[in-house]
Order: sequence, then C-alpha cells, then structure tokens
Amino acid sequence: MKKIAGVSLRALLAGAFLCSTLVAAQAPATPPPAAKAAPAATAPAAEAAKPAAPPALPAGSTAAVGWNNPPKWSEVETKPQYASVPGREMNILVEDKGHWWRAVRNGPVTFYGGIALLVVPVLLLLFFAIKGPFKLHDKPTGRLIERFNSVERMAHWTMAISFVVLAVTGIIILFGKYVLLPVLGASVFSWITIVGKNIHNFVGPLFLFSIVVFFFIYVKDNFFNGNDFAWLSKFGGLLSGNHVPSGRFNGGEKLWFWLGVVIFGTIVSVSGLLLLFPNWNTARELMAEANLFHAIGAIAFAAISLGHIYIGTIGTEGAYKGMREGYVDETWAKEHHALWYEEVKSGKSGGKVAGATQPAAGDD
Amino acid sequence: MARMKFICDAERCIECNGCVTACKNEHEVPWGVNRRRLVTVNDGKPGERSISVACMHCNDAPCMAVCPVDCFYKTEEGVVLHDKDLCIGCGYCFYACPFGAPQFPQAGAFGLRGKMDKCTFCAGGPEENSTEAEFKKYGRNRLAEGKLPACAEMCSTKALLAGDGNVIASIYKQRAKTRKKGPEVWGWAMAYKEDANIAAQEVKS
Repeated sequence: MKKIAGVSLRALLAGAFLCSTLVAAQAPATPPPAAKAAPAATAPAAEAAKPAAPPALPAGSTAAVGWNNPPKWSEVETKPQYASVPGREMNILVEDKGHWWRAVRNGPVTFYGGIALLVVPVLLLLFFAIKGPFKLHDKPTGRLIERFNSVERMAHWTMAISFVVLAVTGIIILFGKYVLLPVLGASVFSWITIVGKNIHNFVGPLFLFSIVVFFFIYVKDNFFNGNDFAWLSKFGGLLSGNHVPSGRFNGGEKLWFWLGVVIFGTIVSVSGLLLLFPNWNTARELMAEANLFHAIGAIAFAAISLGHIYIGTIGTEGAYKGMREGYVDETWAKEHHALWYEEVKSGKSGGKVAGATQPAAGDD
Repeated sequence: MARMKFICDAERCIECNGCVTACKNEHEVPWGVNRRRLVTVNDGKPGERSISVACMHCNDAPCMAVCPVDCFYKTEEGVVLHDKDLCIGCGYCFYACPFGAPQFPQAGAFGLRGKMDKCTFCAGGPEENSTEAEFKKYGRNRLAEGKLPACAEMCSTKALLAGDGNVIASIYKQRAKTRKKGPEVWGWAMAYKEDANIAAQEVKS
C-alpha cells in the first residue's frame, strides 16, 4: 500500500486509462472502474478502515472491478456449459423440467388415470347388471358366415394379447407402488416389476408391428360413410334397442379403429420407442415428455379398450365367437350388420357362406 | 442429528477434477459412471466458474417420488440412498433429478439400463456397514467410519465442502463475508428449498 501512495499522478492516470480501455473492450455490466480506482488510490489509509468500500486496485492494474464476478446461477445453470466428463447433458448443471414431469406424473396422471381405470369397469359391470347382454331377437339359423379369416384373426389376437400384456405390466409400473407394494413387500414386488418391465420392453415392439399389420388388413372396411354417422348419432341403437343397419363394421367399430388403433396406437408406439432406447441419447426433457404421452395415451387406450372388450365378450351374444372362430350365424349377421349380410348374400363381399354346419377343420 | 449437505464454493474451485477422481477411486465406480462431475460455466470468458456436481441429497427428492418400486430411502442424516437389489433400471429417477445425478451402467443391447448408481455421500447402502457386499454395490461407507465424503476431503482448495449443513453454511458465510464476493451458494435453492440463499441474505451489506 505504501508503494501505491508514492506513485505519481501520471502513472495513476495511465492505469485509469488502461482500465477504461479494458472496460470498453469487454463491456461488463459493472460501473466504470476508473472512477472507483482513483479515490481508493488517493486515500489508501482510509481504505483499510472502511471494509464496506469497493476493493482497491493497485495502480497500473488492468483489472476492471466486477468484470470477473460470479454469474447469477439461475441464469446459467440450465444452459449447456462446458464439462470434461463425456456424456449427453453432462454439461448442464440443472435440468428443471424434471420437477414438472414429476408433478404431472405423480399428480393428475396417476390420480385421474387410476380413477378412469377403476370407474370404467365398474360402469360396464353396472350396465351389464342392469341391461344384460345384447341377445339375438330371432333364433339362430345354424347357417354360418365367415366374418374374419385366419389372417385377420391372427392380426387381431396378436394385437389384443400383446395389448393386454402391455397394459398389465404398464399398470404395475405406474400403480403397483400404491397397490401391490404394500401387499407383497419390496422384494417380491421389485422382482415382479423387473420381470414386467422386461416383458413390456420386448412385447412393445411386437405390439407396434401388429398395429401396422392390423391397419393394412382392416383399413379397407373402416372408411366412414353415411350409415356410420347415422349409427353414431343414434348411439348404435344402444338406448332405443333398435339396431341401425351397418356394413361389415359399424360406426362404433370404425371409431375404435381410428381413435384406438390408429391415434392411440401411434401415440404409445412413438413415445414407447423413445423410451425403449436409452442408447439414442435422447435428452431427459424429451424422455420425460414421451413418458407423459405414453402414460396418458396408454391409460386412455386401456380405458376405451375395456368398452371394446366388454362389447366383444359378455356384452354381445355371439360376438366373441365371431373373432375366436371366424364364423357368425346368419341371424347374428342380419341383426348386427344388416348391410354386410346383404352384401355377403348377394356375393358382393368377400365373406363366404359356410353352409349349414360348423366349418370343417382347415376350412378357413 | 446433523443434516448432511454439499457446498461447492465456485470462488475456490479450480476445475482440477480431484473430487471426480477421488470418488471414482474410493468407490471403484464402474466404467462409464461418474457419480460426480465438473461443469464450467462461462468457460474461457470473464466470470468463468466451475461447479462440482453430484447428488445433492435433496429435502424433497424427486428420485424418491417417482421410483416405481420405492427403492430409495433417506438416512437420519438426510442422505438419499437406494437399494440396488430393488432397482428395476427404468430411468425415471434420471428424468426427475435436476442435477443429473443418477447414472446407469449399460446392461445389455440397445442401451438397456442396469442398476442405477449415484453418489451415496460416502454412506454405502442398505447392506451391513463396511461389508464386501456393500462395497461392491455402493462403494465405501466412510460415514460409518466417522469420515466425511472423499471428494470434499480430497479437495485441494477446500472448495467442495461436505458435512453438517449448518456447519458448512457458516464456513461459507464467513468466506463470502471476508472476500465480499460470491455470496450465492449454488444448488441450495433447488435442492433444499427452504434454505435458499441463506448465505446470500446474511452477508448482504
């Protein structure tokens, strides 16, 4: 400090000039240092007594006060910086989207998703208890019509079985912690979830493949026409009890095809692929978003599928047999899909009349 | 009971990676896994600072909240630990963590995730303290030996502080007061919420 006091005014001015040029070159957000450097150097003794004053610079110093202050962390921590450790996003100090993902996943997705998956089956069972299954009005004729050939059935059941496996294993991953874990204990539940996760990962691509195959096999009969809007506007005659005539697939089935298989199928497939391959080095934010799309899409898909499963099994007499064995009775065809029945009878449609008996083995 | 926390004093950190090396060596961490890493902000520009990041052992830990099998637990000292036997390798803790602490060794084709690995604050895991089984899965349990984390013990400039949150906070406050610079402790607002910027508030003149 003594040396500074002895420094000539000229040297001081030169130092101040250097400081100001440095400021101009680096343009920091701090006040110009020249003004601060001068009083500090002229009264060095007072400097020590007043610790609150800005730090003094030695005369001739090229430093600018505040030019090397630490950054405001909230402004820099979420941006990519430099890191010597290799790896995706290693150079980001804070990825704050994770909090948002956690809040949405653990909050509304788990809560409302859980309610949806509980309420829908209860409503369907209530409906079944009150209304019972849709029964045929006339007696079965005993004459069978082929409704689904073996390729169509295989595509349907590959998709259906893989869907159920994925739904069960997925539900374990999202809800098992609250339902199974307290009952089974940590070790058993963890083991089930590890097996379930691996099944989910391997069945997932099979499901994706089956969606693509299913789409190309079934799309030709699933384009909407005027009859379908009539069917949908009357809710398929659900309330009136009168069937609305429909083609091979009615409005509800077509809606399920486009909304379920096509839209939800695409959502869960694309988001699932993003989650399935950590080696694609996907950013955490995208993976978290994909997880939300996957969970919301899959819960909606599963909830709607319960309706489809209900109608296709206990809800409609003869419907399950149609997809299981491929053949339906003429009466069933006439009552549920009148337009398709007429097409088949007139030979316009691909479906063939099988005759009065059960089809022989290998007939399909 | 002490509440264990980390502080990285950015005014002191010289980006030597001593903490990273100490950690890898102490715990014999598998290849490709780094429980601690260094991030340098404003690299090569005025205001350049380095921060050593690992698991911050948050108060309300997001990893614990999203784990599908609840494999995480918190010790009495506030250290967030996990049970690798229960971990299913789903990666959810990795999505949720703001600090990028959870790491996954690759366990198969297509980048299949193995058991998650992260900083244990040198406190091991659920196995019996200081056993071979504990060391193999989680590394050394220094806390059980009465020692503090290896990274902070090794730090040549004492930039990285580990220990009772109140003690290290008071050390940091004293430093910030003396040097009149860098009062903001990085990461505390995110990890501990209620402790946000305690050091900053008390040293402001």
